[in-house]
This record gives sequence, structure tokens and C-alpha cells, in this order.
Amino acid sequence: MTNASVVTQRSVRMVQFRAGRIVWPLIQVGVVLLAGGIWWLASGFFPAGALPPPGVVLARLGELMLTGEFWIAVAITVGTFALALICSILIGVPLGLWIGSSRFWTESTRLLFDFLRTIPPIALLPLLLLVLGADFQMVLVLSIAGAVWPILIQSVYAARQGEALLAEMAASFRIPKAWYIRHIFVPGAMPFVMTGVRLGTTIALLLTIAGELLGAAPGVGHEIAAAQAWYDTPRMYAYVLVSAGLGLAVNGGFWSLQRYLLRWHPSVREEGRR
Amino acid sequence: MSNTASPETPGTSTVIPALEARGLGHSYGARQVLEGIDFSVLPGQFVCIVGPSGVGKTTLLRCLSGLQTATSGELRVLGKVAREPQPGVALVFQDYSRSLMPWSSVLHNITLPLRANGVSRKEAADRAYRALAQVGLADVVGEQYPWQLSGGMQQRVAIARALAYNPTVLLMDEPFASVDAQTRADLEDLVLGLQRRLGLTVTLVTHDIDESVYLSDRIVVLSGSPARVAEVVDVDLGTSRDQILTKSSAEFAALRTHVHGLVRAAAAVSPSTGTARTVVPS
Amino acid sequence: MNALRRTTSIVAIELWLPLTLVIIWWVVSEYVNSLYFPPLSVIMQSFAENWLNPENAAANLVPSLQVIFFGYALAVIGGIVLGATLGLVRPLERAVRPVVEAMRAVPGVALLPLFIVLFGIDQQMRILLVAYGATWPVLLNTLDGVRGVEPTLLDMSRAFRVGRARRLFGVILKSAGPQIFAGARIALAVTLIIMVVSETVGASGGVGYFLMTAKSEFRIASMWSAMVALGILGYLLNIIFRIAERYILRWHRLQQARLERTS
Repeated sequence: MTNASVVTQRSVRMVQFRAGRIVWPLIQVGVVLLAGGIWWLASGFFPAGALPPPGVVLARLGELMLTGEFWIAVAITVGTFALALICSILIGVPLGLWIGSSRFWTESTRLLFDFLRTIPPIALLPLLLLVLGADFQMVLVLSIAGAVWPILIQSVYAARQGEALLAEMAASFRIPKAWYIRHIFVPGAMPFVMTGVRLGTTIALLLTIAGELLGAAPGVGHEIAAAQAWYDTPRMYAYVLVSAGLGLAVNGGFWSLQRYLLRWHPSVREEGRR
Repeated sequence: MSNTASPETPGTSTVIPALEARGLGHSYGARQVLEGIDFSVLPGQFVCIVGPSGVGKTTLLRCLSGLQTATSGELRVLGKVAREPQPGVALVFQDYSRSLMPWSSVLHNITLPLRANGVSRKEAADRAYRALAQVGLADVVGEQYPWQLSGGMQQRVAIARALAYNPTVLLMDEPFASVDAQTRADLEDLVLGLQRRLGLTVTLVTHDIDESVYLSDRIVVLSGSPARVAEVVDVDLGTSRDQILTKSSAEFAALRTHVHGLVRAAAAVSPSTGTARTVVPS
Repeated sequence: MNALRRTTSIVAIELWLPLTLVIIWWVVSEYVNSLYFPPLSVIMQSFAENWLNPENAAANLVPSLQVIFFGYALAVIGGIVLGATLGLVRPLERAVRPVVEAMRAVPGVALLPLFIVLFGIDQQMRILLVAYGATWPVLLNTLDGVRGVEPTLLDMSRAFRVGRARRLFGVILKSAGPQIFAGARIALAVTLIIMVVSETVGASGGVGYFLMTAKSEFRIASMWSAMVALGILGYLLNIIFRIAERYILRWHRLQQARLERTS
């Protein structure tokens, strides 16, 4: 192979690489536009007003974002969700790790948790509505009631997954228990705990919006239901888009957090290659 | 080259042994794995423990390190009866990648045992860097994560962690079994050099007979089921050892053959039970 | 004899806590009067009446079971097909990724009003809503599973000139099995939630409908009985799921057990 052909090969590859960086986002934008186009077409097929064209919905969304009530609703939903998630973590992680480190308690709670986690949290909604009324506290409790389970159960599992060799290493160097827990046990359990927290995050948002929607508590969920009741479909679709946006933001935020906390973990190290 | 054909009688010298096993035995439930282990390691000596696969070398080392309390007999460390891990005794594990914390930097891995035992942050860091230098790793390795390093470097980190602990006795459980042959030779020389320079007492478990003859002053050969000390072999190859010169000497070959013969005879008596059976007490 | 003793001790240790809690609940609710927390005995009575009596049970359960069955089946099949397609055709997956991410980010519940507007308030709408929400976990997990197939296996099947269809079903899908099942399990939980939610509007039967109606008519004991019924329903469905998983994935279970033993 001559020098010239090696150089051309390398520059061709570089051009391909650079092109790849530009081409793919373009294609993705293209697909989004295509989806928008399908939406626009479909809006013609449904009875009047049932599926407003994307332009109308987006315009409405723009208008709404200029109003105070929009931001209040978003703030309430986000706030309730965040608070619910934090409470679920504060309850689920320490409790789960503690139960998981005791064989007796792990076995004792196994059947109980197995049953409790399969109860659809939404079953509690009517009871909570009666007891707490149609307000954000009700939504908060509902959300915690659902989100705590995956976090709790994964934490129990996490406690049992610890690397036994590290416990021995700690023993051989006479490391006191408190140090072991803080520097070895907890970091070691983090990957598994994070799996539970991720599931808990999805459930917390889902239940927050469900509680607002069905329970008529203030927030994005309620706005959706109210808009539908008044058959103000552009407004309803606009808020559905908002809920999608919230979902994306929450997911994205979680992945960033996980990538930071678990930067040492093989699964995260390899993801860079994706 | 001289051999003592029988196990040592402890307590006959005036120097207090660094490590002394008196009638040490260990059983898992009904199964007796070790019985009547008697030997001692004098300060500054390099002793290897060898034997056929599955005989109980690791069990013995775990008892010596205090991770397990022997079910019978007595263990003395630096003259005192010991039933749990002692300050002054550091352990290096075979599986270095799992014994190092992947979420911490190399520096933090080394300093954790020190800080957990009350050493100040600054002094711990100083000792860590000194230990890194002693094992031939540059300062900058301290900031890296263990998984960014090669197998040989990781084991050096594990050794550095043990050194920073300022131990009098260094226990090593098949520390070079998981690295390639070239790295193994380098690490053997590293440990030998450290032992000479720092005056450490080293007890090393290995299945590699060449390694045991190359490194030791004495070799404890285990055999039988339950395992006993078959023989303690004195290794008179001099203080300075060299991978090429020592290993090509006639004395080395003779010792090697002798120990090999002992181990093979031992294997006939207590055949290995097959592939990697890890004995874990319930 | 030893095996029997072992089984009894396992059963005992897993049962003592739940039984104790139920007893405490029973006693406390009997003697502490609370409007929203009727005595457990009354709840049990209501439960027997509404959910164990064959006619009532049928009327109350069948609509929900319909929604669950058809919705879940659609979700699993659709999820596997779509997930496998995206997993196998990389460029396609990459192209539609932002749209997929956006669609899956919408909490299924938020779509209820939308689905009502588009599809009305009958069973069809409910089945579609469940299918929509439950497809995502299956899709995403199938996608991951198909992508994560051990490359050596693929090379091996190509080297042995295994036909495309065979390769897809025999090697790829089987290998992605555990991952797909994990997604299917999440999908089951989602199915239940959406099913209940969808029955709160315009339904005339079903567990969710019963639950909401009982609440609005202030029949508290009946409301509680529905909650118990939902709990049991969820648990039973999970058991069925686990049995199916055990059977279909028995190769995986054995492999995992073997790996644990030799590590």
C-alpha cells in the first residue's frame, strides 16, 4: 500500500466520521418532522376537534407557557414528584439495606413484600381521597406508596450482593464496622439501589400525575382532566406534551445522576462506547 | 542444602517467632480439614506453604490471619495468642481485582485501612505514596481507579496497601496465581526485594513449587486429609536470588525435585477433589 | 423427614410477620372506631359477598380480566415485535430514537383523557390504553436484549449457516429471553394500574369501576373489599407470570445456578 492510498483511506474515514456526526441528528430531526406530518394527516380523520393538528397544539402550548397558572401547575407536579421520590428514597434505602443485611429479616419480609408490591398503588386512591381530600398531600402519599416498593425491594437485594472478599479485606485490616458501612457496604450496594431508584422515579411521576388526574388535585394531571371535561382539546394535548416533557427531563436527569454516581461501575464505563 | 525430616518443635529457640502454630487444627462442622499443624516462622524469614490442590493451604492461611478462628490448637502472633486479625499483620489476597474497591481511587484504597485505624489523613497519604514508590508505581497511579490498571499493577497496589499498613508480618494467599508468567517473575522479585529491605516476615501460600523454592528460606509442605505438616524443608540458596542464576543452579534443581516429590506423594494420599472447589464455611 | 422440616421452617419464617400484622389489623380495627377504616371482619364479609359469590364475582371481575388479557397480550406481542425490529435494524432504531423516547416518556395515565376523546369510553379504549402503556417496557427490554446477544453466538450461527428465521427465533429471541421477561413483568404492573385508571370513567363493570363507585357511594367496606380483591388479583397474576417464566426460562435458571456454584 502506497503512502498516498493510506492517507486517502484515513481522510475518507475521517470524513465519514464527521459526516456521521452531522447526518444522524439530521435524520432524527427528519423523523420527528415525519411524525409531526403523520399527526397532521391523522388530525383530518378524526371527528372535529378530537385530534387538533400539531400546529394548533403547539401554538396553544406557547400561549399557556406565558401564563402564571401554567407554571404553578408544573411547579406543583414537579414539587410533589420530587418530594415523593426523596421520601421514598429516605424510607426505602436505609430500611432496605438494613433488612437485607439480616438473613432473618430478609426471609421474614419476603412473602409480605412480595404481596404488597403487587397491589396496584392506584387502589389506594379512593381511600386517600377520603382521608386526605383532593390536595397535593394526597397525591404525595399515593406517589410514595407506589414508589417506595421498588426502591425498598432492590435495596434489600442490594445488601445481599456485597462483595464478600471486600468484607474479608476489611476484617483483615481491622477496619471498624462504621467505616466498613460507609466506605465499602454502601458504595457496593449503590448499583443495585440505583436500579430500584430508577424504577421508583418512573412510578413516582406516573402516580403523581395519576393522582392529580383522577383525584382532582392541582397540577398538570388535573389540567389534563379539566381540559378534557371542557372539551378544550388543544389545551388537553398541550398539557399531555408537557407531561411528556416532564418525563423526558426526569429520565435524563436520572441518567446523568447515575452516570456520575456510578462512574466507576463497568456498565457505565462501557456505555461510553455506545 | 539440608533438610529437616520432621516438623519443628516450637519454643526451642530464644528468639520469639513472628508466627507460631501450635497443634493448629480446623474443621468445618464434622469435616476435619487441618490437624496438628505445628510450625513457626522466625522474624525476617520468608516461608512458603505448599501442598496438593485442595489440601487446605488457604484454610491454614485464613487461620493464621485471624479471619477464621482455628477450632483447635493455638496461634501465636509475635508471642501473643491470637484469635482475630492482629495489628501488624497484613494480608494480600489472590483475587486482587475483587479485593480492591472499584469505586475508590488507588490512593483511597491504600489509605482506607490506615485512616480507619486512626491514622491522620496526611500521614496516611504520605505512607501511601511511599508504599507506591516501594512497589515501583508512580505517584500519578494514586489518582487512577484500580480497573484502569493492568493485573500486575493491581496486585502491586494490593501489596502497597499491605506495606502502608506497616506490618511486621506479611501473609500472602497465592498472590501471583492470577497473573501471567512474566509479571509473576517481576512480582516475585519485588516481594523478595521488599522483604530483604524492610526486614519483613513473609508467609506465602502457593501451588507453584518453583516459586516456593525461589522465594523461601523454609518451605512447609502440607499433605494428608486432614492436612498435616509433612515436612519443613530448609532452603539454603543464599540471601541474593536471581531468576536466571538461581533457577539454573544444581541446588535449586535438587530442592525442587525434593519438594515436588513430597507434593506428589501427598497428592497420592489425599487426591484433589477436582476443579476449583472453593470451601466456604456456612 | 429433613426436607419436610426444612419446608415447614421456610414457610414459618415467611408467614409469621404477615400473619402477625393481619391479626394486629383485625384487633385494632375491631376496637378502634374509624369511619374510613372499618373492622377487618366486616371487610372480609363484604369481600365474600362481592368477590367470592360466583355471580357477583363474574360481573365484577370479567370486564377487568378482559381488559387485562387483551391489553397485555397486545402489549407483549407488539413490544417484542417492535423491540426486536428496532434491535436488529440499528439505523432504524437510531433514526426513530427521539420519537420513541418522547412517546415513552408520557405517563400512560396522562393519556386517558386523550384516549377517551379519540376512542370513546368502552372496552376498546381501555384495552388500547393498557396496550399502549404496557408496550414500552416490553419494547425497551426486548431492544436491549436483542442488542445484547452474545456476539460469539451470532458468529457461531452464521458460521454454521443457520437460516435467518431460525437464527432469529432459535438464537436471538431465546437469548434475549430473560431480558424480555423482565420487561414483561414491569408491563404486568403497568397493565394493572392503567386498567384500574381506565375504569374510573364511563365503565359499567370491573374492579376499578367497583372501587370508585363504592367510594362515591360511601360504601366503605365494599371499597376496602375491592382493594383486597385488587391486591389478590395482582398477586395471582404475578404467580402465574412466575410459573410461566420458570418454565420458559428454565435453561437460564439452571445456567445461573451453575455459575453461582462455580464462582
